[in-house]
Amino acid sequence: MIKIKYENVVKQFPGSDHLAVDNLNMEVHEGEICILVGPSGCGKTTSMKMTNRIFEHTSGHIYIDGVDNRDINPIELRLGIGYVIQEIGLFPHMTIADNVATVLVEKKWPKNKIHQRVEEMLNLVGLDPEIYSKRRPSGLSGGQRQRVGVARALASDPPVMLMDEPFGAVDPITRARLQNEFLRLQEQMKKTIIFVTHDIDEAIKMGDRIAVMRYGQLVQYATPDDLLSMPANDFVSSLVGGNRSIKRLNLIKVEDIDLYRPPEVAEGDSKTKVVEAVAGDKLGVALVVDDRGKLVGTVTNTDLKRKGEYVKDIYAPAHDLVGPKSTLRDTLSIMLGYGEGYALAVDQEGKPRGAVSVDDIFSAVKDNE
Amino acid sequence: MNQTLWDFFITRQDLLLELILEHVGIVLLAVAIAIVIGVTLGLLSSYYSALASIILPFTQIMMTVPSIALLALFIPIFGTGFLNGLIGLVIYSLLPIVRNTYIGIKEIDKGIIEAAQGMGMSERRILLKVKIPLALPVILAGVRTATVMITGIAAIVSAVGAGGLGELIFRGIARTYRDMIIAGTILISLLGIAADYGLKAAERSLTKQQS
Repeated sequence: MIKIKYENVVKQFPGSDHLAVDNLNMEVHEGEICILVGPSGCGKTTSMKMTNRIFEHTSGHIYIDGVDNRDINPIELRLGIGYVIQEIGLFPHMTIADNVATVLVEKKWPKNKIHQRVEEMLNLVGLDPEIYSKRRPSGLSGGQRQRVGVARALASDPPVMLMDEPFGAVDPITRARLQNEFLRLQEQMKKTIIFVTHDIDEAIKMGDRIAVMRYGQLVQYATPDDLLSMPANDFVSSLVGGNRSIKRLNLIKVEDIDLYRPPEVAEGDSKTKVVEAVAGDKLGVALVVDDRGKLVGTVTNTDLKRKGEYVKDIYAPAHDLVGPKSTLRDTLSIMLGYGEGYALAVDQEGKPRGAVSVDDIFSAVKDNE
Repeated sequence: MNQTLWDFFITRQDLLLELILEHVGIVLLAVAIAIVIGVTLGLLSSYYSALASIILPFTQIMMTVPSIALLALFIPIFGTGFLNGLIGLVIYSLLPIVRNTYIGIKEIDKGIIEAAQGMGMSERRILLKVKIPLALPVILAGVRTATVMITGIAAIVSAVGAGGLGELIFRGIARTYRDMIIAGTILISLLGIAADYGLKAAERSLTKQQS
């Protein structure tokens, strides 16, 4: 179903002689992430901001659920659309709880309901309300602020969300993690999302459909797969980049491939048991789990040389694990970073799901092409 | 301290207390009025740039008029006395308050304002919940500057009969009574320093609360 429709949308800023957005025609399907991507000044942010009338379009129509957004009072329109902007725009004078509550307060929710909802949202984005709700934004890391920005936009459960480089201001590792978490949320939420980025890798990873823009015009609107295999013109192919096989790794997530499961041992198991397990494994590794089944470390031949009677005395702590939403590209860079032939995958609870080897990545790409 | 000056403080304490109260009273009243007018003008300027280009230079020019001249100019209009002095002090307090309000609002990160808009807040709500709270430390700094400045200028309004510690100085000059002049000067300075420290502490606690 079409959720948002742009029809001959034109935007010319006062005093400018060129069109910021030049006759945009596009349909965004319900429950999909639509990525607007392109170089700076291509009109992607402007297009996004016309959706909730932060910018008013010069001509054309933008329909949300079939209603022209000019026929909706801007305040009401915006209360129904989640909004996450670049650099997040958290209110520095308010606590995290008050920031997340912003839209709920504007919607005049009762206080106890707001309180409950804020806790729920903070938990959802992985911030403990006990610790964080009374802090100010300055007391949080960049990644945590981005989470609060997302929590704030999601608080009133709006069906539509606008996101302008929401994971822009953090380091690549944190960004990958935030992207994974967001995709996991989106799987349950099924929001209709317009997502602006200049990073084509992010576009391919996050998008159900990608709109490539240039000079205010929509150059190509396609699924990530089609964009990679059938770029509409030279501009799109150069944006996508020469190395399309590598890009394609962004399309495939760990959860999409069959994982090999190395043997598991418990922390309290004896060394003899783990020696056997390692010897019998094709990757030469045994996974160590704690009493709740969480992956805590690994044992390889190197670790077996250590002295100790039990597994807990000799294992190497687990590092840089991948999750179900991690892309094969993230996985590959972790492998390269550690110089190992595999990366270990865990589920949301931290329980081991298996190992991704370089061979798995090769065959996944081959199947996909 | 000089013995006769000390005696002056002891023997004339009733008069001094009365003059201090008068002085503090006219300063506080002037600042209060200036806050209402100045913050309003500053906010209006932040919304209408045409207004800003009139109001900001105007308050600047008024500052350059020597205070004694300004008060003298008012005599035909407001006569001598408290009202004349009060109006003069209000005018002097306006500039720092108007300018700091304007700057305080203008310097707020555009992203924060846009986020507030995108969140569905009305302009009135943005002003009350985002702009004013964020500009408050800067506005308060303007109030501090104004208060400290007119605590000094208030000594001059005594010349048009508006009362205050300036009386001591003017009477002291008339009677070549040195201790009286010094006593007035010391008390005015102390008031200025107290206002500066007090308001600085308020600013600090506000900034701390916000970060």
